[in-house]
Amino acid sequence: MLNTNHARRGRRRTGLLAAISGAALLAAGCASTPAPTAQIESAQQAIDDAERAEAAKHASPELSQARSKLAAANTAVQNEEMEQAARLAEEARVDAELASARTAAVKAQAANEEIRRSNQALLDEMDRAAKGGTQ
Amino acid sequence: MKPMHTLALPRLVAAGIVACSLVACAPTPVVPEGAIQARADLTRLQSDAKLAPLAPEALTDAEAAVQLAEQLDAAPELAAHRVYIAQRKVEVAKAVAEARYAERERTALAAELDRARLEAREREVDSARMDADAARTQTAALQAEIDAMNARSTDRGLVLTLGDVLFETAKADLKAGSVADLDQLATFLSKYPDRSVVIEGHTDSVGGEDYNLGLSQRRAESVRSYLMRHGVDPSRVTTQGMGESAPVASNESAGGRQQNRRVEIIVSNPPATSM
Repeated sequence: MLNTNHARRGRRRTGLLAAISGAALLAAGCASTPAPTAQIESAQQAIDDAERAEAAKHASPELSQARSKLAAANTAVQNEEMEQAARLAEEARVDAELASARTAAVKAQAANEEIRRSNQALLDEMDRAAKGGTQ
Repeated sequence: MKPMHTLALPRLVAAGIVACSLVACAPTPVVPEGAIQARADLTRLQSDAKLAPLAPEALTDAEAAVQLAEQLDAAPELAAHRVYIAQRKVEVAKAVAEARYAERERTALAAELDRARLEAREREVDSARMDADAARTQTAALQAEIDAMNARSTDRGLVLTLGDVLFETAKADLKAGSVADLDQLATFLSKYPDRSVVIEGHTDSVGGEDYNLGLSQRRAESVRSYLMRHGVDPSRVTTQGMGESAPVASNESAGGRQQNRRVEIIVSNPPATSM
């Protein structure tokens, strides 16, 4: 699981770099808008963070959206649609940030629920003991 | 419904054409609908006294994004992008605040759980102490009752010896007014329902052996009837006539013979766990 994840990420990275450098060459050649390297990098970073936080488990729609937006951003770079690529990368980053934030919220709420359950179980237990213990 | 459709469609088309021509002449810039929604969501979050203070940076971020989305001069694609970012940032701010809120709540919940655990432990200790106290009291009460009955503890259980003063010579009827010990036994048995008794009749060696056996059996039965009349369940009482077979003293002397004429009541020990 971890290995395939790494491999996938690695492959994605290589593709990304190729796309960026290709786009950069083209951009230099045509003297048009440069590729949004920084935005794409930071989107990738945000996705990595979300994956580490187990967003795939707790906020999978948001994470999927982030991934496909980033893929679309890379395609846009290849097509020299730099403005479009920058927007998609920014959207991917915000999607990934939302995935992380929602994951944190879900986890925190689940932890609280667990404590509440233990608490209730303990109270019930005491209740039973108080009722049954005086015979 | 159906005529409505056929009527409405051409009208819409006509309206569209009119609108298009108007837009073409003088495009009136409007705040994108999505931005209005994002503003509404953001305002709700900002005025949430519980959540707003927990995510100030994310809220500032969201505010900037919403303001950008509200700008009127953006091209449609850029406007849609800004609206998307604005909506997402508002959602991020909300999730961040919710996560922090839950984390703070957890501190309080954990403290509550600690308190409950402590209380549970204290109650357990209290109840164990009460159980021990109760057991001690019960044991003391039992001992007092045993002492009152002049019973002695043996391997077979408690043995209560009733002397021959209970019976007239050669008779099996209990003498009136000599049953104080039996009354105490009946009370004892009603208090400890898990105990049962064996009643053994004994005689001295005077008289025929068969006669003595029969007499001892009748005397044991007589004690049993007495206990039953005083509320002891018959299933808890068995009787046995021993005749002259188990003397406790010499039959040579009058004193010894008197000791041998007796009824012994053996109270079984309760099943191991009940006390």
